[in-house]
Amino acid sequence: MWIDINSYVGHWPYMELKYDTCKALLQRMDRFGVDRSVVTSLSGIHYKNTQSANRALYEEWRSENELKERLLPFAVINPTYAGWKYDLKQCLEEFGMRGIAVYPKYHDYSVEEEAMVELAEIAREYDVPVALTLRMVDHRARFWMDIEKEWTLADVMPVIRKVPDARYIIWNVANSTRLDEDDLALVKKSRVLMDTSGRATNNLSGLLDVFGPEKFAFGSHAPILDYATGRMRIEYLDRADSVKQKLRSENAVDMLNL
Amino acid sequence: MANLTTPSRRKFVKKSLAVSAGAVAFPQVLTRDARSSGGTAQDRKDYDVVEEVAKYRKIDAYCTANPDMELADKLGIGRMYVGNPMRWLDWTPDEFRQANDEMIDLMKKHPGRIIGQISVNPHFSRESLEEIDRCVDQGMVGSRLYYQAKINDPIYYPVIEKLADLNMIIFIHGEAQIGVGGYRMKYDVGRPATISVPEDFLEAAQRYPEAMFQFAHIGGGGDWEYMCKAFREQSNIFVDVGGSNNEEGMVEFAVHCLGEDRVLFGTDNSYYQGVGKVICADLSDRQKQKIFFDNYNALLKKGGYHVD
Repeated sequence: MWIDINSYVGHWPYMELKYDTCKALLQRMDRFGVDRSVVTSLSGIHYKNTQSANRALYEEWRSENELKERLLPFAVINPTYAGWKYDLKQCLEEFGMRGIAVYPKYHDYSVEEEAMVELAEIAREYDVPVALTLRMVDHRARFWMDIEKEWTLADVMPVIRKVPDARYIIWNVANSTRLDEDDLALVKKSRVLMDTSGRATNNLSGLLDVFGPEKFAFGSHAPILDYATGRMRIEYLDRADSVKQKLRSENAVDMLNL
Repeated sequence: MANLTTPSRRKFVKKSLAVSAGAVAFPQVLTRDARSSGGTAQDRKDYDVVEEVAKYRKIDAYCTANPDMELADKLGIGRMYVGNPMRWLDWTPDEFRQANDEMIDLMKKHPGRIIGQISVNPHFSRESLEEIDRCVDQGMVGSRLYYQAKINDPIYYPVIEKLADLNMIIFIHGEAQIGVGGYRMKYDVGRPATISVPEDFLEAAQRYPEAMFQFAHIGGGGDWEYMCKAFREQSNIFVDVGGSNNEEGMVEFAVHCLGEDRVLFGTDNSYYQGVGKVICADLSDRQKQKIFFDNYNALLKKGGYHVD
């Protein structure tokens, strides 16, 4: 069984994306034997009012039973924007969304801000994960209006330090995973899960040695990145099948309360 | 004619909420039972990516020293065309000779698997031409050029003419205008002004229609849509899909713009991304085989350097 903890649908303003609808994602999942997938609205990253994107995703998701059964929608929330708590409550309780995705760089706030900390605390109360991404696209090939700075793993640590008992998913680990001793110890004992879509996971075996096999899970970052690479990093791993099984689905099941 | 060593493909196992006042209540913890249960995998296709990857014979048209031979084995990459990492502007003849010697040593260490590519600095014309002769005698094939000068700079002409006479593909590092290099770049990532951009390749390729040019790594961080569109009508420019950027649609777009014969498999040592982006491409098995192996081998064949 495969669960993808990092995929999107919706519009990216700077280039055409294939497979950018729930149905297209489902077809992609069928083609590559993926059972379930976390899905987030790309459109929400660029909307001021992210709730309109969340609602659009919800409407699309609930239009077919198979979409409802196999896709796990996350809400895009900007905790510095008016009404975000109402939106969050609606997404989790009414729409049945399974987690919260935040984009501090795109929404222009710091991961250390009080609003971000409050969001993590609310997520903890709901028992849903907060997802942060180290980058959406390779900054070198970005459109000039897109953000330039990418994050390393260390950049997301401030919120984990402040709310260590929330759950976190780190998407697209494309850059350094180096942490100081205290942060590494914190990640190890916290509920943190990183997906395998980012280029820094090419040496997945080494990362497992550092962080442990409970800290990684299959992710594609589709439809921005190709659908196979994140999976190949697991399948070609020189580890026991029991470890691979954790990465294919077991760690995701645990993180997502499936 | 060289023999391609069949890679040793292992057989793998298959597989407080004080939400804003008024309308919002305290959170309810969403339990497993409260959510949809999801489907099972029983009636879905059991896709095996390892099996899929093993279907295709592969030549890596862009590998950089030192290659990961174990991973190349796993991925069924039978042969790798390898050069030293990029050097900077003041590369002396002694230095590029040493870089080529390192490739020759690597070839001896992995006979039949690794073919070195020749690096020179066109600012030292006589020494560069002599070095090409020396390296060809040692079995090296093709060039690995960087940015000591733009590819359309006249100081490159003798090198281009020499490689064209040898029917060897002219590989040079390339970047796009909108990306990590180029005159319209709005941000500084420390690249020199002598980087070759697509327009430079076009000028060189138009001047030397008999030569074969490889624009390196459309997945190397540049704007691959820009690159592919730039080369649409210049049939003696080829691109490889190497580099760490594995954006969806890259390979199909390259085929759409350039045709299925001008797109080459390459990794620049990002092996998973290099293979993964081709595997995922919405192309036929035959087209993927051309990209993974046949297209580059056809270019090698023009000089008799191909594999069986």
